[in-house]
Amino acid sequence: MTTAFDILLRLLLWLLLAPLVPGIINKVKAWVAGRRGPPVLQLYYDLAKLWRKGVVLSTAVSPGHIAGTAVAWMALVLAALLLPAGPAGAPLAFRGDALLFVYLLALARFCTALAALDTGSAFEGMGAAREVSYAVLGEAAIITALIALSLQTGSVSLTTMLAPAAGAGAALLAAGLFAVLLAENCRVPFDDPNTHLELTMIHEVMVLDHSGPPLAAVLHGASLKLLMFSVLLVQAVLPAGELSPLTAACALAGSVLAVAVGVGLVESLLARLAFRRVPLLLTTAFLLCLFAALVSWRGGHL
Amino acid sequence: MTPGWLLLVAGLGMLIGMVSAFRAKRVWLAATITSAVAALAAAAWVLKAGATWVGRTTLAIGGEPIHLQLDGLSAFFLALLALLGGAGSLYAMAYWTDQQHPVSATSGRAWWNVLLLNMGLVLIVANGLHFLIVWELFTVSAYFLITRERHRREVRAAGWLYLAASHAGTLCLFAFFACLAAHTGNWELGSMRERMELAPLFWLALAGFGLKAGLFPLHIWLPSAHANAPSHVSAILSGVAIKMGIYGLVRFSGWLPVPDLAGWVVAGLGVLSAVLGVAFALGQHDLKRLLAYHSVENIGIILIGLGFAMMAAANGHAAWGQLALAGGLLHVWNHGLFKALLFLGAGSVLHATGTREMSRLGGLWRSMPWTAGLFTLGAVAISGLPPLNGFVSEWLVFLGLFDALSARGATAGAAIPAAVLLGVTGALALACFVKVCGVVFLGLPRSKVAEQAHECGWPMRIPMIVLGTACVAIGLAPVLFWPAIVTASAAWQPFWSETAAPAPLLTLGAFHLVVAALAALAAFALWRRARHNGIRRTGTWDCGYAAPTPRMQYTAGSFAGIITGWFRWILRPERHARIPNEPFPAHAKFEEHTPETVLEHVIEPAGSLVMRVSTAVRRLQHGRLQAYILYLLIGLAALALVALMGGGK
Amino acid sequence: MTGGLNLLIALAMGLNLVALASSRLPSVIRAAATQGMVLGLLPLLLEQEFHWMVGLVSVGTVVVKGFVIPHLLRRALRAANIDREMEPLLGFIPSLLLGAGATIGAVALGGALPLRPEHANSLLVPGAFATVVCGFLLLMGRAKAISQVCGYLILENGIFLFGLLLIRTTPLIVEAGILLDLTVAVFVIGIIVDRIQREFDTLDTRKLTSLKE
Repeated sequence: MTTAFDILLRLLLWLLLAPLVPGIINKVKAWVAGRRGPPVLQLYYDLAKLWRKGVVLSTAVSPGHIAGTAVAWMALVLAALLLPAGPAGAPLAFRGDALLFVYLLALARFCTALAALDTGSAFEGMGAAREVSYAVLGEAAIITALIALSLQTGSVSLTTMLAPAAGAGAALLAAGLFAVLLAENCRVPFDDPNTHLELTMIHEVMVLDHSGPPLAAVLHGASLKLLMFSVLLVQAVLPAGELSPLTAACALAGSVLAVAVGVGLVESLLARLAFRRVPLLLTTAFLLCLFAALVSWRGGHL
Repeated sequence: MTPGWLLLVAGLGMLIGMVSAFRAKRVWLAATITSAVAALAAAAWVLKAGATWVGRTTLAIGGEPIHLQLDGLSAFFLALLALLGGAGSLYAMAYWTDQQHPVSATSGRAWWNVLLLNMGLVLIVANGLHFLIVWELFTVSAYFLITRERHRREVRAAGWLYLAASHAGTLCLFAFFACLAAHTGNWELGSMRERMELAPLFWLALAGFGLKAGLFPLHIWLPSAHANAPSHVSAILSGVAIKMGIYGLVRFSGWLPVPDLAGWVVAGLGVLSAVLGVAFALGQHDLKRLLAYHSVENIGIILIGLGFAMMAAANGHAAWGQLALAGGLLHVWNHGLFKALLFLGAGSVLHATGTREMSRLGGLWRSMPWTAGLFTLGAVAISGLPPLNGFVSEWLVFLGLFDALSARGATAGAAIPAAVLLGVTGALALACFVKVCGVVFLGLPRSKVAEQAHECGWPMRIPMIVLGTACVAIGLAPVLFWPAIVTASAAWQPFWSETAAPAPLLTLGAFHLVVAALAALAAFALWRRARHNGIRRTGTWDCGYAAPTPRMQYTAGSFAGIITGWFRWILRPERHARIPNEPFPAHAKFEEHTPETVLEHVIEPAGSLVMRVSTAVRRLQHGRLQAYILYLLIGLAALALVALMGGGK
Repeated sequence: MTGGLNLLIALAMGLNLVALASSRLPSVIRAAATQGMVLGLLPLLLEQEFHWMVGLVSVGTVVVKGFVIPHLLRRALRAANIDREMEPLLGFIPSLLLGAGATIGAVALGGALPLRPEHANSLLVPGAFATVVCGFLLLMGRAKAISQVCGYLILENGIFLFGLLLIRTTPLIVEAGILLDLTVAVFVIGIIVDRIQREFDTLDTRKLTSLKE
């Protein structure tokens, strides 16, 4: 009973903290641009508003449209259950959960893309096509990063894999995972979460026809995914398992904040890449992870 | 009842079905399904008890006494055959009716039973000569089933290609069994792992069984044959018949010693098949051809598991090998189940619309909700997504690969690219099935036929529901099926008889249950919330364009365009485009077609080269006696020259 | 000490890949120049005690490869008014993957070669192999004359790495000689670039085939 309560509590923490990250990123962007910017809690207000609003559905959609959104959201929430959060560890840990984590993200992608195609819109088809195509390279990079961590620790469970520092390849791994974070969460330079020009977008264009509570689920899921990738990146590099719980928690929170600030700075300072350049950048991310894996294989020294 | 009696019932049922196929189709159906149930029971008995059933008679065929054997491995494949055979029979009743196909339906039923019976026999005979006989019968009966619509040219071409490729494979198997018999002195098959001189024969088996399994680049016959056969035949060919090649590889790599390189070659071919299979699938616009290429991909995943198991066995039975093999074997079942489901779904679409062209379909969920739902279920499974069965087997293979990593050494060097490319394969398969489901079932109908589609009847729906349920069952409770996998892998490698399921499998099953339950709950909750807040219907947002038509939807080709661009070096798509360039363009068109590269760029040029050389050589033989005498004279002169040159020794 | 050395060589190997992945001429020039400077520091790390000759060569390499040659190339770029986009004969992703494969292969090969014990743990030999192969890839896979020069520079950097293996036995004069050759070569190519530009109005080396008669 206590374990169930424990799991529920941690899940609640994940769900509640997630919308904070986009708020921080937007604040950083506003600061760099010299604006005051929206409040950090803006996404919470948006979610609350959307949850109360009515839904406008396309006449073309099937009942699967809303179901797909819901399943994608649930897949992301359940993936959060597998990810350890510093000293608290993961609510659920078993051998091979790292792969389940990756495939739950894939399930979310599958459902989001199908929900987009459901509307029959050419724009959303374009977005879905881009999403699933670039995810191929992103997935190669993530699996390679898992290989690097597994070579380091000899384990296939996220809790053990993420406990020690990533060794000599840490810088490579961090760079690779950061690029994957930007790509998977559709940030600049891969995609621009702020534009509303349908032809140039990936993720935003897939959710053009969502509204009301389903759109709230999409937005919350996206922020949760961003938080998960930040936590994953931070813990891959940070020796969270070797610090005292309090220091580890502080270090984790501080580093996630740093990642959010980093994303904000990247968005302020870089322009979006041309689409034909995206695969090159993702291949670079894959190679960074691959070289991190090879460094781990050589026993952590160059 | 013991397996022996059950198998006898199954065999008799098949024979009764064969006879009654022409007159009484209800008797045919009853006999065939009874025999499938009996075979399933026999397989379950063996898999549960872990014992081997052996049947010997003094009755001889071809001078060899009959020797049948149903061990864990045979039973594993027999269970799949029985389930898919039964499901396909019921489906065929409504799909290939006597009204629509007055001639081909009756004989098709008879050939169907010949195919099922001989595939069953391939699994249980333990005599090389008899193996070859039933193998040949199985191959030929499949040819007659593929060419049901013989009046269409492409069907005949597909049939011929299948027959030629199959016989090239059978030729290798003839050589394999003949060499085996020559070495051992008789045709009896069984474990002979200690006779190391037999190891090189594995390459013959790999070529022969590899052609049947359709691994890259021996898959040339597969796409056209599976696409042009009736859908229930495609289901059995893709679900079971190509698994006979896998069965042969597993069987004989277990019974015979293998060369040191075998595991590496098998795993390498597996990776190649997996990635390129799905890449070719992405380039297709024909629904059934696309599914056929996915068979190449899944055979690749199975072979990755088998290859790493062989490496582990060569490395002293490392534990990770068992995981890889378990993943590979479970994927045999899984692929059989979801691929049959998908082919039956595609058949239902074909039945309702009369076309396999994905770009003419769209929006079918309105008229065919059952087919759409079940096909999407199969798509989730084949993309290897939790909580369904495809993920369980891919996960086991992944675990084997990751454990191989911690063993370091050369196998770890192979495990890194294999794991990365397996992940890439999964992501590509996902892209491909998003394309299929989205283009065929979602959106708006792109043509008249798609608008007027109708749902299939219950005889076609029930087999799909059965297969879908099996997919869900393996996904949610993988632990229940673990003993069967252990029994099968113990038949392959007697050292691997550990019966306890790996602990994470139980957790994974529980987690899958949670995923399924929470997903359903979330969908329900979100739907209720939306209903509560009020739903308004309006047209899809089209960026302000005034007159959107269904033809403006993203098509299959445009959806896959980015990825097929990456693989252009091997796909070599043919393009015919007329690009508009004047201010008021009158005509513009764009066509892209991905041919079978290996066939058109390797096999056909090689074939025409052989033809040219042969034609040139044929000119030597023209029937003029004078010239023949000249040849004799030249030959004599050459001999004399040789004698003069070498005569000094 | 090996740690610092290996880090610099790994950096140089990374710069190979940067050069292969860059789509614009100035960034390739920058990658080659940075690589030259990184490698210029190596002799200082390799020698146990400081020798004025080593110091001189090191400074010379950094100045020539890091400043003089890039400056010449940039001037040629400006003077000939060349379009800065590369024209890859081999796409960027394939060349990047091939370069990465070559790097991994070089490390594996370095582990297999019977090297002297003091070189067994260092990345000198793998780094040299990888740099030479990436130089060749750049030479083969790019069309413009300037990018060919960059490929040539990277190739020379690889040869320089090989030379470092023999730093105790061969006088560094040899390296100094190579540097001189290189500078002259870049001068010559600069002149050729100018001529080609005037003659054909392009710098595509594929057009040179039309000179055969």
